[in-house]
Amino acid sequence: MSIKSSRALRLKRLVRWGGAIAAGTVLLSACGSSSSSTATTAPKPTITLVTNSWEGSLANNVVAQYVIEKDLHYPVKLLDLAEIPAWPATASGSVSAVLEVWGHYNHYQTYVVGNHEVINAGLEGPTGNIGWYIPTYLLKSHPELATWQGVKADWQLFVTPQTAPQGEFLDGAPSYVTNDAALVKTLGINMKVVYAGSEAAQLSQIETAYKAKKPIIFYWYTPQYFNHVYSFSQVTLPPFTQACAKLPAADINCAYPPYYLYKIMNSKLPTTAPSVAKFIQAFNWTAADQNSVSYDMAVNKLSGPAAAAKFVNSHQSLVQSWINGAPTAKKAPVLGT
Amino acid sequence: MTVLAEPNEQVELATMPDLPPDRRTTKTTVSKLAQTRWSGLFIFFLAIVISAIYGGFHSGFPTSLVPNIATWFNSIANWITVHQSTAPFFVHFLTPIGNWLGNSVNALTDVLNWLSWPGVIAVFAGTAVLSGKWRVGIFVVIAMIYFGLIGLWAASMSTLALMSVAVLISVVLGVPLGIAAAASRVVEEAIRPVLDLMQMLPAFAYLVPIVLLFGIGNAGGIIATVIYAIAPVIRLTMLGIHSVPYETVEAGKSFGSNRWQLLRKVQLPMALKPIVLGINQVIMMALSVVVIASMIGTGGLGDPILQALSIVDVGDALVAGVAIVFLAMILDRIVSAVAENVGRNVSSKGQRQLISPRNLRILVGAFVIVAIALGNLVGGGGSFPPGLSLSLSSPVNSFLSFLQSHLYHFSSMPIIGGTSNLSSFTTLEILNPLTRILGDIPWWLAIFGTGVIGYLIAGWRRAVLVCIGVTAIGVLGMWTDASVTLAQVLIALVMCLAIGIPLGICAYWWPTLEKVLRPILDVLQTMPAFVYLIPVVLFFSVGNMAGVTASFVYALAPAVRLTNLGLRQIKVDMIEAGNSFGATRLQMLRKVELPAARSTIILAINQTIMLVLAEVIVAGLVGAGGLGYDVVVGLGRDEFGLGLSAGLAIVVLGIVFDRLTQGRPAGRRG
Repeated sequence: MSIKSSRALRLKRLVRWGGAIAAGTVLLSACGSSSSSTATTAPKPTITLVTNSWEGSLANNVVAQYVIEKDLHYPVKLLDLAEIPAWPATASGSVSAVLEVWGHYNHYQTYVVGNHEVINAGLEGPTGNIGWYIPTYLLKSHPELATWQGVKADWQLFVTPQTAPQGEFLDGAPSYVTNDAALVKTLGINMKVVYAGSEAAQLSQIETAYKAKKPIIFYWYTPQYFNHVYSFSQVTLPPFTQACAKLPAADINCAYPPYYLYKIMNSKLPTTAPSVAKFIQAFNWTAADQNSVSYDMAVNKLSGPAAAAKFVNSHQSLVQSWINGAPTAKKAPVLGT
Repeated sequence: MTVLAEPNEQVELATMPDLPPDRRTTKTTVSKLAQTRWSGLFIFFLAIVISAIYGGFHSGFPTSLVPNIATWFNSIANWITVHQSTAPFFVHFLTPIGNWLGNSVNALTDVLNWLSWPGVIAVFAGTAVLSGKWRVGIFVVIAMIYFGLIGLWAASMSTLALMSVAVLISVVLGVPLGIAAAASRVVEEAIRPVLDLMQMLPAFAYLVPIVLLFGIGNAGGIIATVIYAIAPVIRLTMLGIHSVPYETVEAGKSFGSNRWQLLRKVQLPMALKPIVLGINQVIMMALSVVVIASMIGTGGLGDPILQALSIVDVGDALVAGVAIVFLAMILDRIVSAVAENVGRNVSSKGQRQLISPRNLRILVGAFVIVAIALGNLVGGGGSFPPGLSLSLSSPVNSFLSFLQSHLYHFSSMPIIGGTSNLSSFTTLEILNPLTRILGDIPWWLAIFGTGVIGYLIAGWRRAVLVCIGVTAIGVLGMWTDASVTLAQVLIALVMCLAIGIPLGICAYWWPTLEKVLRPILDVLQTMPAFVYLIPVVLFFSVGNMAGVTASFVYALAPAVRLTNLGLRQIKVDMIEAGNSFGATRLQMLRKVELPAARSTIILAINQTIMLVLAEVIVAGLVGAGGLGYDVVVGLGRDEFGLGLSAGLAIVVLGIVFDRLTQGRPAGRRG
């Protein structure tokens, strides 16, 4: 029993220590909450910007962070977040703004049109161009692949074990809306869509094919810095029409609509941080600008602040127009995007 | 599952994740069995005939039997979206909880920053040393300096804070729940399916509602982590209290202890070891959600991995992945060391030591204070000096690209001809046909066929459960995708067993191999799957083979470990007897050792399937399709209903497999 009782004693000590730690945490969290409540009354709240899973989103944010911190003197936090949670987070104010939004018609209806918790902060500049792409080297041997009719004729080129006896069409991250399964069906192309499930997996697959100069056809988009690392060409699809956009998802038979990339911010930002809200509404650049910053970070391995400093120093007047300029034009996302 | 009844074994078995619930044996008498068999068979054939007439020989599940469950789930999520900022339950109950959780993580991060990096290292290493574990202390120092050297000190501390709070909450909630479940059969029966659900439902499937209810950041991250990781501590507390010998409890009672005293003085102290193992399991599982938690804005070590993925930089992802592995190991070893020290009895402490415990305590205390002072005075405080950084990612990337160029292509390997050919072969000759066959089986045949299998290996009750499960997959609208996933799960399972069991046997024969394997298996189990997502695609191409490979890598460990464990637990006299008959090594293995280790090897199969199923999501991220992809789409495209339905189908598959591989409840020995 002596062993057991000493064990019990030790257990007791353990429990006490555990209790003390737990109590400490509670106390500390109380302090934490009081300090954070004073922070909200302080003149300079932290500006939180959402970084999504594509590199361009990070490029927007490092540059915005650099300018907001250096010129507007607000602390900035970049937050990695998936696209969907970013909407309720912006609505609740735990996120200040998202600088690149693709489509999201439904969320826009809920939060911008519906309960006004999110503000449309205008266009970002680049137009998102989604479509079918092939590596440019394929066009040398098969120039007909520039259009979907050529792809339809040459489907055997793209047969893989995964899709045999059909050709493989490679789709990417599931959060990007695609019509490719409907397109191959309505255009009568003997292909099967393979969903890579993540952009990382899709890119790895494209890189492997590219290194071996093998045929591959895939869903892709611009602006994307990878288009500067590799040379891709777009396949022409039947032109986008409003009538086509109104078709049921499974019957769509035309190209993707252009995505006018836009910015959103929390509706209270103009009162809590007016200069930042003004900056976000005026922030606007080109796809080439964004790609250059992405390329510096991803390929040249510059840190975010270094890449941002490099860009800002060589684009002074553009940056000034963000601080003092007028808000950019607004466009609401259309149905089907 | 009878193995679990033996106390010294249960401890090691429990170190495997996803420990299945222990089953109480239900004994059926022979005559009763014969009766139910005939009437049961009759009903069974009747059911087949009716459904065959109804269903015909079409493949796929009849759509008339599929209610639109996904739409219901979606409307729930929509309701929450609309009422999230107004309904009193959210505003006055959930939001404050979320804020409190978030603030406690922030406070803990502040404390870690105040300690400064030398202080944090000193505190953790000092704790290990005071618990008598010098080696753990040295490991802690090296691992934590690694956090700093790779430039992820701040990220590591924020993950450490988040994980500590999540683990603390799991323990504070889990131990009492485990005690309650051990005390009452009703509570136990009620809790068990909930635990199965929490452990097997992929976190991807419920991230969106968590964000809606608790907000992004640490609050949501903690909730998601606790849901996923709390089960082992509840299960092992329950198991620990159950395993206290009856005589001991009786002895306690005879001294006049009441129920509370009995629990406090007898049961809990004696169940301490399994409880600590439960906590260790919680830590391991919690650390495996770090990357997923980063998707809802918790920051920390998941961020560099997600960012590395967006620029296809395996080196960066691996460097951060190793930091997660180290963090898991630090927490695991320190909790074990402290608990062992607390549980250690007096006699072993009388040994001569270099420094007396009292002096050691003073020494460590002084060291910690100096470290904190130094850290705060010399500057930097929370952050690690940026000058001391190490770039490990580019050598990793060049090594990987070297490997790919030599292993992927046609001529690179004799006979097999490169991983690309291996992948095509497996896909064309095994995975595609199997998927087709599974998909083409008429639904009623699939339901009753698995029922028959269930009856043969597990008895009537399980057979009925299995039939219900398979039907549920159809009703959830996941029939086709489940057959895709099932084909991959089966192949991954075969691969794990075909390689894992022989490896386990070899490690039993050559203990050196076991020592080499142990850290490798540790890493395989704790390394976030997101890190090997790209390599898997580089070698095996986007598709089902990539998914199978990822699952194989993750689920290999239990097959090796449990086989090895089962063999090592064989009683010495049995082996002696075999030797005295002059059996050769292979004869021994075949006639004595493998039969004796049978139940543990069955458990190995069970555990491997559970881990393969846990990896279905990662398979979905590398183009394997199936249920995993549906869950990923659910999160990515705001189709909560689809994600949850597919997640539930994974849970059902898991339960079906679990109940089947646990074998006959009565047990053949009984």
